[in-house]
Amino acid sequence: MSSAILEPTPRANTESASSNGETVISVRGLTKVFKDFWGRAKARAVDNVDFEVKRGEVFGLLGPNGSGKSTTVKLLLGLLYPTKGHIQVFGHSPRHVATKSRIGYLPEESYLYRYLNSRETLEFFGNLFHLDSADRRNRTEQLLEMVGLSQARLRAVGEFSKGMQRRIGLAQALINDPDLVILDEPTSGLDPIGCREVKDLILALARRGKTVILSSHLLSDVEDVCDRVVIYYGGKIQAMGTLKELLATPDAIQITTPALPRATMERVLELILKDVAEDKVRIDTPTKNLESYFLGVVQNARAAAAQTSGAMSGARVAAYLRGDAEQASQGEKILERLSAAAPAPIAPVAPLRPADTVDENKLAALAQTSEPAPAPKTEPEKAVELEKANEKLSSLLGKPKQ
Amino acid sequence: MQRLLAIAWLTWKAAFRFRLFIVVAVLLLASVVALPILIKDDGTARGFTQILLTYTLSTITALLGLSTLWLACGTLARDIEDCQIQVVAVKPIARWQIWLGKWLGIMSLNAALLFISGASVYALLQWRAGRLPADEQKVLRNEVLVSRGSAKIPTMEKEIEAQTEEVLQDRIKKRPVENAYLPEVKKQIREQVKADLQVVPPGYSRQWEIELGPAHRYLRDQPLFLRVKFNSAEKSPSGTFDGVFGAGVPRKTQLWRSDMLSLAPDTFHEIEITPNCFDENGVLTLTFGNPNTTALLFPLEDGVEVLYREGGFGLNFVRGLTIIFCWMGVLAALGLAAASFLSFTVAAFFSMGVLAMVLCSGTLANAVSEGTIGGYNAETGSKPGTAADTVIIPAFKAVLKVINLAKDFSPVDSLSTGRTISWGTLGVAFGRIILLLAGIIALFGIAVFTRRELATAQGTQ
Repeated sequence: MSSAILEPTPRANTESASSNGETVISVRGLTKVFKDFWGRAKARAVDNVDFEVKRGEVFGLLGPNGSGKSTTVKLLLGLLYPTKGHIQVFGHSPRHVATKSRIGYLPEESYLYRYLNSRETLEFFGNLFHLDSADRRNRTEQLLEMVGLSQARLRAVGEFSKGMQRRIGLAQALINDPDLVILDEPTSGLDPIGCREVKDLILALARRGKTVILSSHLLSDVEDVCDRVVIYYGGKIQAMGTLKELLATPDAIQITTPALPRATMERVLELILKDVAEDKVRIDTPTKNLESYFLGVVQNARAAAAQTSGAMSGARVAAYLRGDAEQASQGEKILERLSAAAPAPIAPVAPLRPADTVDENKLAALAQTSEPAPAPKTEPEKAVELEKANEKLSSLLGKPKQ
Repeated sequence: MQRLLAIAWLTWKAAFRFRLFIVVAVLLLASVVALPILIKDDGTARGFTQILLTYTLSTITALLGLSTLWLACGTLARDIEDCQIQVVAVKPIARWQIWLGKWLGIMSLNAALLFISGASVYALLQWRAGRLPADEQKVLRNEVLVSRGSAKIPTMEKEIEAQTEEVLQDRIKKRPVENAYLPEVKKQIREQVKADLQVVPPGYSRQWEIELGPAHRYLRDQPLFLRVKFNSAEKSPSGTFDGVFGAGVPRKTQLWRSDMLSLAPDTFHEIEITPNCFDENGVLTLTFGNPNTTALLFPLEDGVEVLYREGGFGLNFVRGLTIIFCWMGVLAALGLAAASFLSFTVAAFFSMGVLAMVLCSGTLANAVSEGTIGGYNAETGSKPGTAADTVIIPAFKAVLKVINLAKDFSPVDSLSTGRTISWGTLGVAFGRIILLLAGIIALFGIAVFTRRELATAQGTQ
């Protein structure tokens, strides 16, 4: 397979189409200044920030450490109070108690009670959501299954590895089947499988019309799942928009095809070089990303029934989080298949993103020109030109001249 | 309620997983077992039991009080410092519910610990009483392991006040007194008038009339117990003074007269009076003959008292423990209120400081009664009257009023002297200690906790 890259790769996942315009979060002129004991300003963590998040959106808060992402999240949750500005969550103040029953929150660290075991942790948070005991037990079991901790349900959370703590933290954030999920660095401390599962989960939630706020400094996390992002620096929003808006380079295109015969490549290149300078064209062989490769290796190992004492790979998204499983959308079913732990044929490892297929007809059409074909050249001229083209192609492909 | 109980359950889990419950329970049981071995008594079963009750209940109160303060400060302050509160506070639970849930959790732990230690003390007392000879057992069950009502001689405050005023006016007419010295002169006259009502001069006798009130209806054919304490102007070479007590009115009631008793001053003595010495109106006439060469003074407040059986020890013991439980409620509220705005270490220090101040309330009371925080001359009654006194003395008065809301009830004293802690007393104690004192502290703590930003701390996990 080869690829002619004429443009930076855009976000490959499909964008959520479930945003229906209902504003879930509205932030206007938000400013947070941390003060010392004497009331003197210490740090302006968030500075005059405005944004809105609509229902069904996966909204990313992106920025380097200390840029104000986590402070914004804590302001949205009512854990910090704004110095200036206005926040509404589902039309209420972030401190409105009843509204909190619609919110799930995973903090940046797993701030859980170390002396409770996994099951007790989820039972406790279930009680805070006033779930009846049957519902609580049912959800607890499903969530433990989903985050791969059903084997560790009786182990104290304090004994968990960081990754396992993130998993139980994620489970507690979802115990109430929230309409708004706020995830602060959700993949921090997770292995690549866990990261993939979290991202799949976020997409599954978005497909159900849930709103997800994702705060992260990991660009790949945000790129993989977010519809819209704000980029923070120094407490201020530096950029905001959909990934397409932010990342698109409209004056470049990328074509990916299966490996083509050399002659075809030469013809295509010859056509392209008529319109584009040589230094603007790049041809290379696409590689799988490391995440896809890693997931393939692990799936192979799992198929060979390798033992592990750590967290298991998560199972299907919990039924109550999927909504009515029987009526799940086709896309959701595909997503669930991807996130399912069931062994699947592995080798050769395929990227999780479906590769763009090549339409031979389109390629042929691209290769044709609407202009009249030039007059056939004489054999010596043809040989010289072919030699030149071959030389250019070889230099582009990085191969020594034959 | 589910949320409140969830928070309370969390406190239980923490207390068990961190082994606090086990440690405190073991300490409490150890003190109940060890104290009888260590304490010294007057050699009588009654004395031993009284001291045992006083020491064990005081130790239980102290241990439980300290653990309550520690747990109350820790359960909230640690949650805030370790950031667990950030995950709890974003759930649909109001801040007051978190606070109250913690308080309920601590109080339910206290209830369990108090039950374990109280039951142990009760079992120990009954076991020891059962091993005594019959006559000692009888004394014990009549005087300590019992619930007794009491009747005292009237304090005669109005009479004292009126007579003081009368003497003062006479004095002023004879020799004018400067306004600055007027309060001190009045105070001394008052003491003199009061002493006249308390003193039994040498070779004389004094008579008191004590109204038993409605209780006299069920006290027919029942023994009464005279509880007396006196002070003497001079020391006796033997350390004791002789005296004879009598009760009843000739031709109206049964008459009783004690043998010549040899009694130590400044300590309480209990003497059994034969039944039916009071008249049909429930008035018991008491006399004391002083054959000594020195005057004896029976304080009006607690010098002469008559005790009578009202009920069994068990229920009285439970009511006494319930008042101690109410005290724990105040300490739990205090610890949580401190933790609502302070870090764990500072909150613990602050709470212990307040507890120390309560224990030192006698010093505050002295300063208030002397009207100055320093330089009072007991001989001349003069005081410097500094500017600081004008601020500090009223502040001390206010603090004492607050402290006395809880300190006015002394279940340990009542239980060790076999006095009744009535349901009424318990109700008043609950109202004043829990509803008023703990309530005010709780309102303050909840208000501060509700206003507090909970995500300013960075996790220490």
